[in-house]
Amino acid sequence: MKALLLDGCREGDYLAMEAVLEMTAALAGRADDVEVVKLRELAISACTGCFGCWTRTPGECVLQDDAATVLRSYLGSDVVAYVTPVTFGGYSSQLKMMLDRCIPLLDPRFTIVGGEVHHLLRYRRYPKTVVLGTLPSPDAEAERLFASLVARNGFNFHRTFEAEVLVGVPDPPSARRCAERLLDRIGVTA
Amino acid sequence: MNALILVGSPKGRVSASWMLGSRLAEGLRDHGVTVQYGMVHHELRSGEGTAKLLDLFDSSDLVVLAFPLYVDSLPAPLTRLLELAAERRGRTSAPGNPRLAVVVQCGFPEAHQCDTAIGICRRFAGSAGMGWAGALAMGMGGSLEGDFRRLPGGGKQILDALGKTAEALARGGDIPDEAKAVFARPLMPRWLYILTGNLGWRLKMRKNKARRPIGDRPYAQG
Repeated sequence: MKALLLDGCREGDYLAMEAVLEMTAALAGRADDVEVVKLRELAISACTGCFGCWTRTPGECVLQDDAATVLRSYLGSDVVAYVTPVTFGGYSSQLKMMLDRCIPLLDPRFTIVGGEVHHLLRYRRYPKTVVLGTLPSPDAEAERLFASLVARNGFNFHRTFEAEVLVGVPDPPSARRCAERLLDRIGVTA
Repeated sequence: MNALILVGSPKGRVSASWMLGSRLAEGLRDHGVTVQYGMVHHELRSGEGTAKLLDLFDSSDLVVLAFPLYVDSLPAPLTRLLELAAERRGRTSAPGNPRLAVVVQCGFPEAHQCDTAIGICRRFAGSAGMGWAGALAMGMGGSLEGDFRRLPGGGKQILDALGKTAEALARGGDIPDEAKAVFARPLMPRWLYILTGNLGWRLKMRKNKARRPIGDRPYAQG
């Protein structure tokens, strides 16, 4: 089993970096191969909204940068974990930059999912996905928004994404338990 | 009153966000508001541009975020700007007290798909010590292509909502509920939007001389 972790932390964000370490360890206990991608170290440009990945080179972004490598790795994984500081209830801009570049994974044509319009899936198989967020202090509204955002991202892939938020400075065992819990919820076993 | 319209679309002045934001700006000007624009994707490419936007942010009485929904949220560069603005306002004990308003559109028919993004903007306003003036959200953003007159009904419902919003914001009020409801009303039946949307993708492919099928799988394994 292959696992991919998208590290959406900024340098010096020790809380989120701790979450990355514990999620990596949790994945390593269940997967044969764990790839950790530090998004801050890659060259990933902002999506230009040109829809070239749908109408010019279907399935591939017209921009040539590190995002394509991440997308190939994403599709080749059985499980993907995003780790991010919860940012006003959403993802860090670092992680968001990559997620905005994921639209080539979908087919532009519309379909109905759960009563709402979404896009068709381009591929037959996608990895199971979990999202681990961190917050320096309790913030019920941010946690609620984060859960909603992750659930909505799951709808885009016609499936359920699971999320948890680590609040405050966690001791490593509790951060590890949180990561293990997330993997349990999506049925990722050793 | 000084207002700053931040256009969060990478397409800048040829975007649906510009179309909506600039029309709102016209309404604000009609009510005596001085309006400036910031093109977020363009300005954030340089330190100078970023500093300019942050200065404008803090010197405005009203900041309007006009953006397309990207993956259920704000486009990444706009998120980055909000991170920087909140950090700076935290460091400098929040100079001034600008209010924040939002105009967001998504390519799906349902306006409610923008709700999480609006919540994120509202949470940002709270974090940055800004007032919250509300949000306009619409679906079927794919129909906005440069001219309101080409929309069903001549785009009257959108123009009415933007007009009422400009009037309210110019006198320091919140976006009226009536404007929110009218703005969110579907421009056409959902089935028709799906039909024309799906046809539209194919027409764009033909125009772009795409050589692969629409459902191609370039990253398929094995």
